[in-house]
Amino acid sequence: MSTNEKKQRNEEEYEIVDRSKQGVEGVFIWGQMMPNNEPHDVTFELLGEGRKIADKLNTKLTAVLIGYNVKKWAQELIYRGADRVIVVDHEKLKTFAVLPYTQVIYDIIQKEKPEVFLFGATTFGRELAPRVAARVHTGLSADCTMFDVGDYVNRRKKLKFENVLYMVRPSFGESKLATILCPLNFPQMASARPGIFIPLKRDETRKGEIIDFTPEFSEKDFVVDVLDVNVGGGEQIDLKGAKIIVSGGRGVGEKGFDMLREFVKVLREKGYKAELGASRGAVEAGYISSKHQVGQTGTTVRPDVYIAIGISGAIQHLAGMKESKYIIAINKDHEAPIFSVATFGIVGDYQDVVPIMIEKVRKGEMVFPVTQ
Amino acid sequence: MSNKTFKIAVLIKQVPIPSKMRATKEGLMDRSVASMMNPYCKHALEAALELKDTIGEEKTEIWVISMGPPNFEQSLREALSMGADHAILLSDRKLAGSDTYATAKALGTLIQKLGVNFNIVFAGLQTIDGDTAHVGPQVAERLGIPHVSYVEKIDFKGDHVVVRRILEGGNITYKVPLPALLTITNTANKPRGPRLKYAIRAKNEEIKVYSVDDIGLTAEEVGSAGSPTLVYRVKNVTHDRPPCQFMEGETVEDKVNMLAEKLRELVEASKAEAVEA
Ligand SMILES: Cc1cc2nc3c(=O)[nH]c(=O)nc-3n(C[C@H](O)[C@H](O)[C@H](O)COP(=O)(O)OP(=O)(O)OC[C@H]3O[C@@H](n4cnc5c(N)ncnc54)[C@H](O)[C@@H]3O)c2cc1C
Ligand SMILES: Nc1ncnc2c1ncn2[C@@H]1O[C@H](COP(=O)(O)O)[C@@H](O)[C@H]1O
Repeated sequence: MSTNEKKQRNEEEYEIVDRSKQGVEGVFIWGQMMPNNEPHDVTFELLGEGRKIADKLNTKLTAVLIGYNVKKWAQELIYRGADRVIVVDHEKLKTFAVLPYTQVIYDIIQKEKPEVFLFGATTFGRELAPRVAARVHTGLSADCTMFDVGDYVNRRKKLKFENVLYMVRPSFGESKLATILCPLNFPQMASARPGIFIPLKRDETRKGEIIDFTPEFSEKDFVVDVLDVNVGGGEQIDLKGAKIIVSGGRGVGEKGFDMLREFVKVLREKGYKAELGASRGAVEAGYISSKHQVGQTGTTVRPDVYIAIGISGAIQHLAGMKESKYIIAINKDHEAPIFSVATFGIVGDYQDVVPIMIEKVRKGEMVFPVTQ
Repeated sequence: MSNKTFKIAVLIKQVPIPSKMRATKEGLMDRSVASMMNPYCKHALEAALELKDTIGEEKTEIWVISMGPPNFEQSLREALSMGADHAILLSDRKLAGSDTYATAKALGTLIQKLGVNFNIVFAGLQTIDGDTAHVGPQVAERLGIPHVSYVEKIDFKGDHVVVRRILEGGNITYKVPLPALLTITNTANKPRGPRLKYAIRAKNEEIKVYSVDDIGLTAEEVGSAGSPTLVYRVKNVTHDRPPCQFMEGETVEDKVNMLAEKLRELVEASKAEAVEA
């Protein structure tokens, strides 16, 4: 008998633990709302992926919708894939704050005993999910990019777990994909990277149940006050529609941005749809408004040409632009990570490089490969 | 006990230098390679040092706390050389394989065991090896204190802080009573380097090492045994982007000319394609 056959024979004698029959049931997602009182895109992505997982587990998909005046969205979440929507509508939950939101989700988990609970790996999600996981004493897998359902054999304990959630996430500096399991505790919890999973098509024939839930709060849930919420508004910047983005980082400095504005202006005069972008480094330094920010917490862009000037290329910046067709990087540090995704690189001081580029564009000596 | 009234803890982790990062046969992080203080932890420490500058050196005390193998001493000493006052290392073979749940349990228990009533705890937003951003919030939950993640600005107001945190497309400002835990982003500040005046202390200061027994936990509660999650398998990812072409030339003008040439070739090629289609 080969070792493989031996292994299989042994496994046949293992006790089978079916996760979906341990008194826990259902796939849950947190339907995240944004300050403008609309769902974050990741909510629809989670419904799409959650639907797939729920179908594999032959169970229901429930969305938990928390906020103030949010009930109007419940039906929409059903059209997008939910079988059930638990609505927690309360004036005090208007703006995200981690303590009351943790308590609400904790209460729901105690009552409903879900098998799986997914969050978006947004800045709110990554603040909330770990606190919830610690409160319910379960594991949490961060920033996942793939899910599946499968078996897990524990040879030491002679147990075979069926229907466990495979949570796959980039690790070791994005060079590897690790599959994480949480076979013994529930819910199996994960946060899912935004922009990866595919939403379902909106379908108005989909039916579902809307359930109101009233949490029990105590004073200690509200010791933190929300003082100010500041999101965009004002002048609109069309980064998504631009064919060429001229983007500046902290290395550019305040005056340097005037030079980049000039660059954009000259490109527009030549008929290109050009826009000014920026790294968070530049935004935080106060060189430019956050509406221009590209990256994980800014806009995700995919222009024909992305020109990164004085940007180091931190992973959060790359996340928002590395799918651009051509990337031109100008940086005085030849080891800057931006060069790892660039098509063309110029090592040098932007103050020397950019004026020459602008001049050449003006004279028609520099053209760009853009689609119509 | 000292009469310094304001006590700050900073959670610090040592991580492999990114280019040296690799997995062991068991799929865990290889910790024997050259390593450094996790960059986000440097920003957390800088936030603590700035707070110390605000409140006054004579009134403030900074404890840096880490959990990991003995060589983590390197980062703790670095923190002392930047201006931290005390360094604690939780180090024990039993801790091997801890996930974020078990790590936070160990760190939270250690902090309670120290018996210092910290006014504020800082953590890095995330590590560059684990990259979860879990440990800060989970330690706060253990300690039963509020936390805010993604903090990039802190105003100290005595019994509370006003903090601004990053949000997709903007920011949000909270008023947080102390004690609290804050996780700090890399846009919050520019970490200072080592200071000459702390060099000798950084070299000589005793780093107090605690074991799992010392903090009253058992082997079952920490390490892989105490971790709800497990790593099932690890696969390589392949990248398909060709390497960057660097523009060459004697002068900047030459380099820009070469770029113009490359771009022109691309434009011509796409025109040719359009004609064929
Ligand atoms: C949760 C989170 C979310 C984030 N989201 C985003 C995001 O959405 N978008 C984003 O961009 N960042 C984001 N960041 C921040 C990100 O990690 C980096 O801190 C930021 O992108 C750095 O900006 P930078 O490259 O402009 O600055 P730096 O890292 O300071 O780099 C400046 C670069 O300019 C070069 N330079 C300096 N002077 C010159 C010169 N004269 N000529 C040429 N080159 C020069 C330097 O060599 C350096 O490489 C986020 C961080 C966190 C923690
Ligand atoms: N082993 C550790 N020792 C001390 N602090 C840690 C440890 N692991 C994580 N932390 C803290 O938690 C933050 C987030 O880490 P992580 O959850 O691993 O991304 C880090 O920046 C540290 O401040």
